[in-house]
Amino acid sequence: MQITINGNVRELDVDPEMPLLWALRDVAGVLGPKFGCGIAACGACTVFIDGQPVRSCVMPVGQVSGAVTTIEGLGEPDALHPVQQAWIDEQVPQCGYCQAGQIMSAVALLAEIPNPTDEDIDKAMSGNLCRCGTYPRIRAAVKRAARSMGEA
Amino acid sequence: MSRLGTITRRTLLVGAAVVAGGAAFGYYSYRRPYENPLEADEGEAVFNPFVKIGADNSITVIAPRAEMGQGVSTTLAALVAEELDVELGAVRVEHGPTSWAYYNAGAMEESVPFAFYNDSAVAQFVRDSIGVVGRIAGVQSTGGSATIRDGYVRMRKAGAAARIMLTAAAAKRLGVPADEIGSANGILTHEVSRRSLTYGEVALDAASEEAPDDPPLRDRSQWRLLGKSQKRVDMMDKVTGAPIFGIDMRQPDMLFGTVRMSPRLGAKPVRSDVTKAEAVPGVVKVVPLDTSYGGGFGVIAENSWAAFRAADAIDVEWGDASYPSDSETIDRMLRDRLDEGGGSAFRDDGDIEGSFADAPADQVVAAEYSYPFLAHACMEPMNATARRKDGKLELWAPCQMPTITRWLCSGVAGIDQTDVTLTVTSMGGGFGRRLESDFAIYATLLAMEADGRPVNVTWTREADTRHGPFRPAARGRFRARLGDDGLPVAVDMDIAAPSVTRSFVHRGLPWVPMVMPDKITVDGAWDQPYTIPSYRVSALDADLGIPVASWRSVGASGNGFFHECFLDEIAAAGGVDPIELRRRLMADYPTAVGVVDKVAEMSGWGEQLPMGKAKGVAFTLAFGGWVAEVVQVADTPDGIRIEKVWAAADIGLALDPGIVEAQIVSGVIYGLSAAMGQEITFADGMVVQSNFHDFDAMRMHQCPEFEVAILENSPKMGGVGEIGTPPAAPALANAIFALTGKRLRDLPLSREVKFA
Amino acid sequence: MTLRFTIIGISVGAASLAAIGAFAQENSGLAEWEKVYAVFSHPRCANCHVEDESPRWSGPHYGATRVHGFAIGRGEDGFGNPGQRCTTCHFETNSPKLHGPPGAPHWHLAPAEMVWFEKSSAEICAQIKDPARNGGRTLEEIAVHVRDDALVGWGWSPGPGREPAPGSAQETYEALVAWADAGAPCPGE
Repeated sequence: MQITINGNVRELDVDPEMPLLWALRDVAGVLGPKFGCGIAACGACTVFIDGQPVRSCVMPVGQVSGAVTTIEGLGEPDALHPVQQAWIDEQVPQCGYCQAGQIMSAVALLAEIPNPTDEDIDKAMSGNLCRCGTYPRIRAAVKRAARSMGEA
Repeated sequence: MSRLGTITRRTLLVGAAVVAGGAAFGYYSYRRPYENPLEADEGEAVFNPFVKIGADNSITVIAPRAEMGQGVSTTLAALVAEELDVELGAVRVEHGPTSWAYYNAGAMEESVPFAFYNDSAVAQFVRDSIGVVGRIAGVQSTGGSATIRDGYVRMRKAGAAARIMLTAAAAKRLGVPADEIGSANGILTHEVSRRSLTYGEVALDAASEEAPDDPPLRDRSQWRLLGKSQKRVDMMDKVTGAPIFGIDMRQPDMLFGTVRMSPRLGAKPVRSDVTKAEAVPGVVKVVPLDTSYGGGFGVIAENSWAAFRAADAIDVEWGDASYPSDSETIDRMLRDRLDEGGGSAFRDDGDIEGSFADAPADQVVAAEYSYPFLAHACMEPMNATARRKDGKLELWAPCQMPTITRWLCSGVAGIDQTDVTLTVTSMGGGFGRRLESDFAIYATLLAMEADGRPVNVTWTREADTRHGPFRPAARGRFRARLGDDGLPVAVDMDIAAPSVTRSFVHRGLPWVPMVMPDKITVDGAWDQPYTIPSYRVSALDADLGIPVASWRSVGASGNGFFHECFLDEIAAAGGVDPIELRRRLMADYPTAVGVVDKVAEMSGWGEQLPMGKAKGVAFTLAFGGWVAEVVQVADTPDGIRIEKVWAAADIGLALDPGIVEAQIVSGVIYGLSAAMGQEITFADGMVVQSNFHDFDAMRMHQCPEFEVAILENSPKMGGVGEIGTPPAAPALANAIFALTGKRLRDLPLSREVKFA
Repeated sequence: MTLRFTIIGISVGAASLAAIGAFAQENSGLAEWEKVYAVFSHPRCANCHVEDESPRWSGPHYGATRVHGFAIGRGEDGFGNPGQRCTTCHFETNSPKLHGPPGAPHWHLAPAEMVWFEKSSAEICAQIKDPARNGGRTLEEIAVHVRDDALVGWGWSPGPGREPAPGSAQETYEALVAWADAGAPCPGE
């Protein structure tokens, strides 16, 4: 089946029931989305389909109806997305495993609400678990990103 | 202070190990006694096990501790860069090979039966000696919050030695005395003749200069990098989703796998049929496994999903558990153990029995507490990648104890250790779970069946949650006698729990005899800097047969709750403010009083709060960190909300305040997560919980505000990674008592209250 | 409930033959309604017919009924909040994994005025008959909606580990029609 991943059309020979996450990681070699729970309870696997956040660990690849964007498609080291830059400026990550998913959720939030309140952040980000407890810095980074995107 | 009499036997045992290990203790060699494990590539010079410099001016620092989020790769590199006279950004950081040269003396030091504040000659002798044992045993571990304490001198000496060698080589090249050459930003300059050379230009020559045995170190006043918050070296990878974790390991021609081990821990299958599993499309092979961690099956497949599906499809009946099969029975066994008595007193000050013999009932406070088994729930599920080909075994694993893991995998593969390589990857969390070797052993066993192809073996979250080894459950029975001033004159604590050390040794290091009572059982309770006339803390070993392990802050993770909640009860019974109680009981330890005063000041302790809000306090000394925390809670229609946490931590020296702050917050959230709702329970010999829907942790919407103060008054450097955790649960429970009048003596607190 | 209405029916219904007929019809209508109520009040349906912002979780693996984890909220359109839409996790089909997210087309919360969660049979009955609170539907349209809508139909095939709503979509449709034909009686409080 054909899937567009980060702007590239890929032909993947997979069972349509396979979760998108494993099609990305084990077949397409796209490793940014991480496996955490397999039941959409931790958010580490978050990707966009046509700009909307999706937990790829439970989405059957056969139901993917639009273009897939992963953390790799968001920005690159020499051209970071403002949210990624804010994450560095606030020194958010510790182990870093959940952060690709956290960043994807933050980008999705800021696309709809450019200046989110603390409550907006809670409602958008509480599905992304972080066992290192980086939440206070994530909150600061979302607000910093909002400011920098507002200025841009 | 502990009575020496109670630990004499252990001291002798440790002493005997010292004799066997040789006498050269107390000196941290940065280059001996092991061979340098690094090999120079073309155009590259290796100065010691920690520093490589290329002719192209590239500088590589080996940070031989696992990066699991605690920021060690950054601070270890900064220690080298400081003495090497380069900026942190000029340095590339590698984990380095698995080698005995990278032993962790710091972690071994704190495992001795002396409290951190005990500086007696005997305590210091034993501590130094254990460091030597660690070196002899060559345990390269990341644990005990000891990385920076262990690396503080060693890494700086490695940097200083390289700088001195570079300077010597430059002096020869320029024909001038070495002491006329200065160094900065990777450039060696002879000011007088205004000539300069880069490190790269002299690196190859410098490597053959004699390495100084004990290079002098810069005074703290000269530090450029240390003591200031640095940009962490791993941020770019971690915001771009770079494939740095064990689960991301990819090799040509690689297969994927998973395991399905007995849900009755340690049991084996009694009947099984793998026909359906083998029929799952993409499955290559189903392999029976029989290991020191238990029995079950491994699946090799073309992708992880096929492996997961096949593992589910194995039709199997498991053997019986060798331990009590449900939580009620387990708890009763802990109770029975307390009834039985006869524990090992790790602390026995004054006259406990006498203190209670004539105590009037109204002056006695007595209570029983418990805490549950806990899973670590690292974000990255357990995994490892292995390839067995041409008589060699290659491993890639996120692991905290690579030398031990390599040794164990070498054993199961029947391949000599010299033919086993283990590359340590970044870890998506560790928290003690990755001190184990099970994930690497399973990958090794599957690689043996994969015809030379590498296999990336990833556990499901369910397998990860259900198989432990777990933080032990414990039950404590405590009593105190109050004096006329409301302060305790006697405190007696019995703690019954399974031994972490015995369980760990049994799984991994069977040749080490388990001869001493386990200090971990009472850590965080016996070693606290309180002065109470009669003060006894006893460990009652309860061998339940359930595998238990280190879990962030280990013994203190639960015993901090025991000790500090019971002190809060004593304070309430004696009518003494909990902060004031601690100030008075810890008056002999100014560092402790300092953090208590600081947290009281920060949190506005004693100020009137609006209705429906309350604060609680707790203090713990663990891993050399003196930490006081205040938690503020509020009653809301949705339940209790944790509004704010203030933490004051004294670690003697904060090499990177930004990282320290992050670690304290991290430790608090880890502790609060467990206190709020986590528990592992058993039914029919199997763990009930399985994933984040029933073993969750704090989420963004529950996260309080934080205010952290880092103090540097302690005369000794403390650890950081675990010290925020122990006071978190008791501070929360004490706050809930202040709010509701309800004394919660069992974790998790969700058994009694609802959290918003 | 059924028993209580039966007793009322007998004691009052003795008045006249015509009245007996009317009450008999009401009795059968109430019996039909109870079938409908058993469905609407079932967790598979009521957990997403809430009047506040939070869908609910319940079932053997979730402890007592509780609010959905992750601070999931209704959002402005009933489809969740920015960053965490219902469709971030809930797709066209159920996850085959135990504890994985259930799925059906257009997964979302019912409007707050269509509240069933923790409501009595009488309250739900009144709501269903009130066009201001039932989406402006006739009873016939409600019955067809229950029979044909894919998201409603999920209640009877909710995926692994979840107890389905009682009966079936067709049976509930028939009960609604029969109840409406009997005058759509509502039970007393």
